[in-house]
Amino acid sequence: MSGSGKEAAVPDIIEVDKLTKSYGGKRGIKDVSFSVAEGEVFGFLGPNGAGKTTTIRTLMALIRADSGTARIAGLDCWGRALEIKRLIGYVPGEPALDRNLTGGQILEYFANLRGGVDRVYLKKLIERLDLDTSRKFRQYSTGNKRKVVLIQAFMHRPRVLILDEPTSGLDPLNQQEFDGMVREAREEGRTVFLSSHVLSEVEKTCTRVAIIRDGNIVRIGGIHELNDIKRYEITIAFAQPVAADAFARLDGVAEVEALNDGMAVRLAIQGSADAVIKAAARYPVVSLTSYEPSLEDIFLRYYERDGQAAKEAVGV
Amino acid sequence: MFRSIYLKSLRDYRVPILGWGLGLGALMATVLVAVPTVFATPAAKAAIVALGASYAWVAEPIKIDTAGGYATWKYGITILVVVIWPLLAGTGMLRGEEERGSLDVLLSAPRGRVRVALEKLAALWTALVIFGVVVGLLTFAGGAKLNGEITLGGTLAFGLNLALIGALFGSIALLVSQFTQERRTASGLTAAILTAAIVVDMVHRVVPNTAWLSRLSPIYYYNQSKPLVPGYGADLGAMAFLVAMTLVFSGAAMWLFARRDVGGVAVELPARNASATQALPTSDWSLRSLYARSLGMIATSTLWWTLVIALLAAWLVIIVKQTETQLRSLLQGSNVIAQVIKLGGADTATNEAILGALFLFLPILLMAFAVTQANRWSADEEEGLLEIVLSTPQPRLRVLLVRFSALATATIFISVVTLIAATAASAVYGVALDYGNLAAAALSMIPLGLLVAALGYLFAGWLRAALDTGLLSFLLVIWFFISFIGPSLKLPDAVEKVSPFFYYGTPLLHGWQLGDLLVVVAAGAVALALASYRFARKDIAA
Repeated sequence: MSGSGKEAAVPDIIEVDKLTKSYGGKRGIKDVSFSVAEGEVFGFLGPNGAGKTTTIRTLMALIRADSGTARIAGLDCWGRALEIKRLIGYVPGEPALDRNLTGGQILEYFANLRGGVDRVYLKKLIERLDLDTSRKFRQYSTGNKRKVVLIQAFMHRPRVLILDEPTSGLDPLNQQEFDGMVREAREEGRTVFLSSHVLSEVEKTCTRVAIIRDGNIVRIGGIHELNDIKRYEITIAFAQPVAADAFARLDGVAEVEALNDGMAVRLAIQGSADAVIKAAARYPVVSLTSYEPSLEDIFLRYYERDGQAAKEAVGV
Repeated sequence: MFRSIYLKSLRDYRVPILGWGLGLGALMATVLVAVPTVFATPAAKAAIVALGASYAWVAEPIKIDTAGGYATWKYGITILVVVIWPLLAGTGMLRGEEERGSLDVLLSAPRGRVRVALEKLAALWTALVIFGVVVGLLTFAGGAKLNGEITLGGTLAFGLNLALIGALFGSIALLVSQFTQERRTASGLTAAILTAAIVVDMVHRVVPNTAWLSRLSPIYYYNQSKPLVPGYGADLGAMAFLVAMTLVFSGAAMWLFARRDVGGVAVELPARNASATQALPTSDWSLRSLYARSLGMIATSTLWWTLVIALLAAWLVIIVKQTETQLRSLLQGSNVIAQVIKLGGADTATNEAILGALFLFLPILLMAFAVTQANRWSADEEEGLLEIVLSTPQPRLRVLLVRFSALATATIFISVVTLIAATAASAVYGVALDYGNLAAAALSMIPLGLLVAALGYLFAGWLRAALDTGLLSFLLVIWFFISFIGPSLKLPDAVEKVSPFFYYGTPLLHGWQLGDLLVVVAAGAVALALASYRFARKDIAA
């Protein structure tokens, strides 16, 4: 098994090894390797153009890798595509469906292409996401289009769900429903492979995460393992002005910023805060606020180094 | 080129307009270059005059014994091809951008709607003028060795006339697209209007005292100008009328566009069922399989094409009697013409000889239908519509072959209905025909249509939809060109055999030509096999 943070003795359902794909001379992905255990909810993070969709489209046998292997349930993604597709539910990054069909017609059609689905479950999904199936696809809002695509991916209770930016365009209420659907899938032992650049979404639903950047995997680990590299912020307000320099050289302090004419400091900390707490105790402290960092912060760290737009990285 | 909407739009038009201009200009130049060969002997010239008279319904033969007259007559039917590009540009100008969502972004810029639309329209008109100049210059070059008979002023006026009819149909397309939700529908409706306009213009050349009816067609006014015909020249009044109509239709389109919702239509019909539902259409036959859905997707367009092709077949059968009368009067006292035309003696044979030549237009239309369907296959991949279908347990090969099977079904349907329509027309109007040969003529079109579709599917393995369609259309024009004027140019047999029309032959005269048809079937099968091989292995467009 490549990557860390995985629970032992669970077989891998997705195995990707040194997968490489380029588009003419342009970069796609290079030597991408990771594996996903059965029953896992795996997050695949990266900014726009990092290679998430290329990786997913290779898994779906929509494009063929230049080199390397990708397997799902032990089957080669390209050579055994048909068998694999019986196991999979898929949400593409930019879903396109026949504009002139209604949502109901689209779902009926794909249900038939899959050889029939559990109608009761399908209707439950429609109710759950509150989809009006009578409207034509072209008349749907972005969020409703996404609902149609999500339902078609879940409706046959696939063993593996491959979801490329699945919640893009969904409102918070439906995002919550989606989180519930992913949780239920996991409880039923199904595997979810979810790409996103919305880190809070991954934080809520995923057990493990891989980060891809410029076509290369830069980090794989459990959510908690990733936490050990994250930084967090503490803002300390004092009863009297305090020199920010007093904290600058302390162990674990990455950044210091003086606020309110020295009446407060904001510290970015990596690792233990012990030295900071002891140093602060020498002054009259009015308040101390700690901000728990999110995955967005971790993610940003990977992209701020080379000056790549942080906003793009977090998708804001 | 990105400084204004006008320049950006003009840039978008650069490849098609130059391609169209060079292609159609080269066609005209070749016709003129061939003139000395065609008019090599007095007998050959007389034969051309006779043929011109018998095919007057296609294009009016004015001074056909001159280079300019001959070229104008020969070019007559290409008006259909000339107008296709401006028609597509007209529907794509606003509706196409609305479909892609790019108009929303464009209209967020600080420019009024009418200004945006006007800049785009001006770019189209400029592009058409460039097209006209290119055609004019190439025509002039083609006629350079004809002792000054073809003048630069005449050829430029000829090009301008083409640009004007193009602009008019572009503006009709723009207006129609204000009423349709989809570009494709607007293109289909405008193409139907174009076909109707061409047929209505033909009427007065076939039925006496019907000029009043033909005046309703814009093509009539286009045909009033014949700048290449010595002593005939351009009809400035007719040209001004084309300009005026272009302004009226464009103005109406602008007016509607300024008032309607972006993404909406000018006249909103009340929704059939306003209440929301969460039901599923479990009894809908068209959703039951890939094949049923593929058939459902093309059902409407197939019905329209069937209507056009079958009605044209019936119309050709009806007018054959009149053409026959004209030919007979020409044949009297002219052994030369009789030898050239080689008509049989019996009525049935005569009818079939005339109709055989006219029927060549039917496979062209069926092949044009195949081009549109091949375009749809290519566009579906480009627009991502295959992505989710291919995520289901359907093999790629099956997806392609099933789509092709649906197209084959449609092609067979069109041919059979065409046969029924022609048979009915011959029975009702008393035109004696060998029904076996008629069946051969109608059903022999099927392999030609499928060959074009298979080639379209093959090209789609590498090319984007626009290029795929462009290449197929180009092939169609070249094939038509080879078969239509190839004999005049005395092209080598090997060249004539490149065109599928060669293998279609003259089934109305000679019945089933199975050996020739098998060549087309084999070529189509090879193209389809290669297309399948490619599709099973290629990266699906993102």
